[in-house]
Amino acid sequence: MSTATTTPRFAPVFRAICGAKYVMEDPAELRAWNVLGVAPAIAVTPASVDEVANILRFANEHGLSVVPAGGFTQQQVGNLPQQVDVLLFTTRLTAVEHYDAGDLTVGIGAGCTVAQLSAMVAENGLFFAGDPAQPERCTIGGLLATGLYGPLRHGYGGLRDYCLGVRFVTGDGRKAKGGGRVVKNVAGYDMMKLFIGSQGTLGIVTSASFKLFPAPRQTRTFVAVFSSAAEALEFRNRVLRSPLDPVCLELVSPQAHELLVPGSPAGAWWSICLRAAGSDAVLARYRTELGSAVVREMEGANEQGFWRTLEDFSPIAAERHPRSLSISMTLPVSDVQPVLSQVSAVAESNRFSFAAIGRVGIAHLLVSLWPGPDAEDSLVNFVDTVSGLRNRLLRDVSMAVLHCPSETRHHISAWGPMPTDLESMRAVKMALDPKDILNSGRFLF
Amino acid sequence: MVQLWRRSKAVLHLAVNLPGVVDHLRKIAGRDAVLDRPEDLMLYEYDAGIRKSTPGAVVFPQNTEQVSQIMRLATAENVAVVARGAATGLSGGSIPTKGGLVIAFSRMNRILEVDVENQRAVVQPGVVNLQLSEHVAHLGLYFAPDPSSQKACTIGGNVAENSGGPHTLMHGVTVNHVTGVEVVLPSGEIVHFGGKAAESYGYDMTGFLVGSEGTVGITTAITVKLLRKPEKIATLLGVFESVDDAALTVSAITAAGITPAALEMLDGWTLHTVEAFCHAGYPLDAGAVLLIELEGLREAVEEQAIAVREVCLRQKAREVRRAKDEEERALLWKGRKMAFAALGRVTPSYYTQDGVVPRSQIPAVMRHIGNVAKKYDLIIGNIFHAGDGNLHPLILFDMRNAEQFERVLSASTEILEFCIQCGGSITGEHGVGMEKRDLMSRLFTEEDLDVMIGLRNAFNGAGVLNPQKIFPTPRMCREISGPSQNPVLMQEGL
Repeated sequence: MSTATTTPRFAPVFRAICGAKYVMEDPAELRAWNVLGVAPAIAVTPASVDEVANILRFANEHGLSVVPAGGFTQQQVGNLPQQVDVLLFTTRLTAVEHYDAGDLTVGIGAGCTVAQLSAMVAENGLFFAGDPAQPERCTIGGLLATGLYGPLRHGYGGLRDYCLGVRFVTGDGRKAKGGGRVVKNVAGYDMMKLFIGSQGTLGIVTSASFKLFPAPRQTRTFVAVFSSAAEALEFRNRVLRSPLDPVCLELVSPQAHELLVPGSPAGAWWSICLRAAGSDAVLARYRTELGSAVVREMEGANEQGFWRTLEDFSPIAAERHPRSLSISMTLPVSDVQPVLSQVSAVAESNRFSFAAIGRVGIAHLLVSLWPGPDAEDSLVNFVDTVSGLRNRLLRDVSMAVLHCPSETRHHISAWGPMPTDLESMRAVKMALDPKDILNSGRFLF
Repeated sequence: MVQLWRRSKAVLHLAVNLPGVVDHLRKIAGRDAVLDRPEDLMLYEYDAGIRKSTPGAVVFPQNTEQVSQIMRLATAENVAVVARGAATGLSGGSIPTKGGLVIAFSRMNRILEVDVENQRAVVQPGVVNLQLSEHVAHLGLYFAPDPSSQKACTIGGNVAENSGGPHTLMHGVTVNHVTGVEVVLPSGEIVHFGGKAAESYGYDMTGFLVGSEGTVGITTAITVKLLRKPEKIATLLGVFESVDDAALTVSAITAAGITPAALEMLDGWTLHTVEAFCHAGYPLDAGAVLLIELEGLREAVEEQAIAVREVCLRQKAREVRRAKDEEERALLWKGRKMAFAALGRVTPSYYTQDGVVPRSQIPAVMRHIGNVAKKYDLIIGNIFHAGDGNLHPLILFDMRNAEQFERVLSASTEILEFCIQCGGSITGEHGVGMEKRDLMSRLFTEEDLDVMIGLRNAFNGAGVLNPQKIFPTPRMCREISGPSQNPVLMQEGL
């Protein structure tokens, strides 16, 4: 592999592919687009699938490492790259491939932001169920690559449930696709599944098709509070066993509440926030079923604002506590309680504070941990906290460290053990990016 | 590209040393767990479609370790292998390679675990789809994918083909209900993908494996989601004067923001045929009916039922009936689920496809199918998953009439080409199998297929697992059989 410093001699090739205007070569400017502190040698912004393919073919031939980039909201997640020869922005791939409001489907360029897509379909009374953090910046390509989701995951499923097709360029520069634009389709291998959450290591998604949903006419959020996580989760179990069918079912820890609503009294309450959609009669039924645990209802702008803030939990926590750990865990529903107890125990033994939220109906937790007032803010302490959590991971739980202080990166793996066979994943990687040029070293390999 | 084609052609399909292989299989799985007499093998040469091919042997493993040993043996001896559940598939997915090995899963049919709190079950591949739902019914749970063959088809087969069914409109196909799998790779290695969590970090190998039609690995245990039974179900029958009115209603319901649990269409010809067979109470003088099911919270279902009725009447429905109890509901569904069996009374054979169109194109595609029927002088009935645009045109024929069968194939291809032209797909739930592999290149470019074949070869490079499926091959040999040959299917009314 070439060194990053020699890459600029390839600049004329990239200029020929994308046009000089879309090749960034100024080192100062490039430093601003660093990936975990590693500045790219060059950045390119192709305008078409062909240009993406030409860039990747050239990079593959010359062994240049390529980092795909969208809105840069999750670019600091993952392991440290050794070097970044080419930063490839997908932000000019924004064309609408198809939009069939009557069919509730849309095909859109990877560079379009989630907010842009949502605004476009809202005009027809529809909505896109992806609700990642920072939707004004997060692109469709980035959303797919990171597999991000927010509270709506509970009621609408994940990308794997409503992404209908992808077009992509493989690491070795082949333009290909999987799926299509119809809501039911089993022709050929399900390439969408491989790309969702692949962290940009298999290929660069250039566009994707999605199922859309009719926007609910009205929603209401019911907030129930409890003195412990155990009681809150017992309430969750009641909801899950009831006929109720909420669109969001979120747990918010006391510290998380304080982070999300600055200035709110530091209480000791764990809350369950349940968002329901439907007519007045349906909402009345929710009220009856949920009973006296509900202390507050939210609607309108107040409600919208609450959920938008909740979606941004991880960036908000990292901003408030720059020297913190941000952790994401997927787990079986029954493990939420024991895992939260573990988090609490590990935090306590290292004198860390923690805030947690999560879609506890499908079991995805986001946890932020930072040194408490009497804790030692040391590398060892951060590393200990992560290994304390990882060492006790239950079966079927996977845990990613999304954010940690920069000096601890060399000592903390972003990913950890996974339930899926590593060698099978390697076989997939080799079939699509045989020279390992895409996000090399940042994910599994 | 060229290399890949050559590689898949070079596979040895016939066991060179079959008696030796059969002996070895008996040592692995037991003396009574291997069939190799021609009269026994004949039962394993077909599925519910129109092709057949006789295997060299059938083995019935009882556990994962045996499957692993069988795969190791098959790979060492270069014997083609196909996994088989109940063989209710329509695309040839479980048709063996001539002289190859069938691994039949009828003895791996145990429900290994029901985890109520996580709403998961872990099952062996031979568990029959409906049996799982029946097994957990007392807990208020069920397994959502419901192919019409659900009384017979196995969950292993559902996983291989990524099967659908009427209720996939609301709940999605099999892949949306599988969170983990245990897989035996062609090397014999036993690996795990995913688990009980809804998602996990790492590539979604589970999602990739589901629907790979037995070409990547053999599934030996499956972790599935169990859904809670809805509080309320409403089943409506919209009766229309013409197929066109019914077709326009489908997109009107979607556009009105209502997502029924199921939305099925039966055209007038099919109504007649079905009614004569099972007396479901369908109107005999209607042009088409829509069978619409709503489910969820009581209050929401009642509101949607009113809204659906209004949409139907606005689209010129003659009447909208609603099943008043479970008995009436069962009767309406019986007609739908027995439709394929009903055809046995009026035709020696039929050919069905499952092309998909965007929902707004249903009126156009129904007109196209009508024109194709006229052009080729064939009877084509339609009974299908209208809500997600998944067609099942039933083309009647007599297999003794070779000239007619050629017309059937041409008509079928014209219908699928129309689906492709309007942005649809050649298969919504049956899989590509053998029957549609030559159409794959109409839907996918050479490079698309090259990427997929590269993935297959990464796991199944020697082509031992289910060769000649999904991907187009230069040459195709076709043997024809009627649908009536599978006694299980006739009984179960596929």
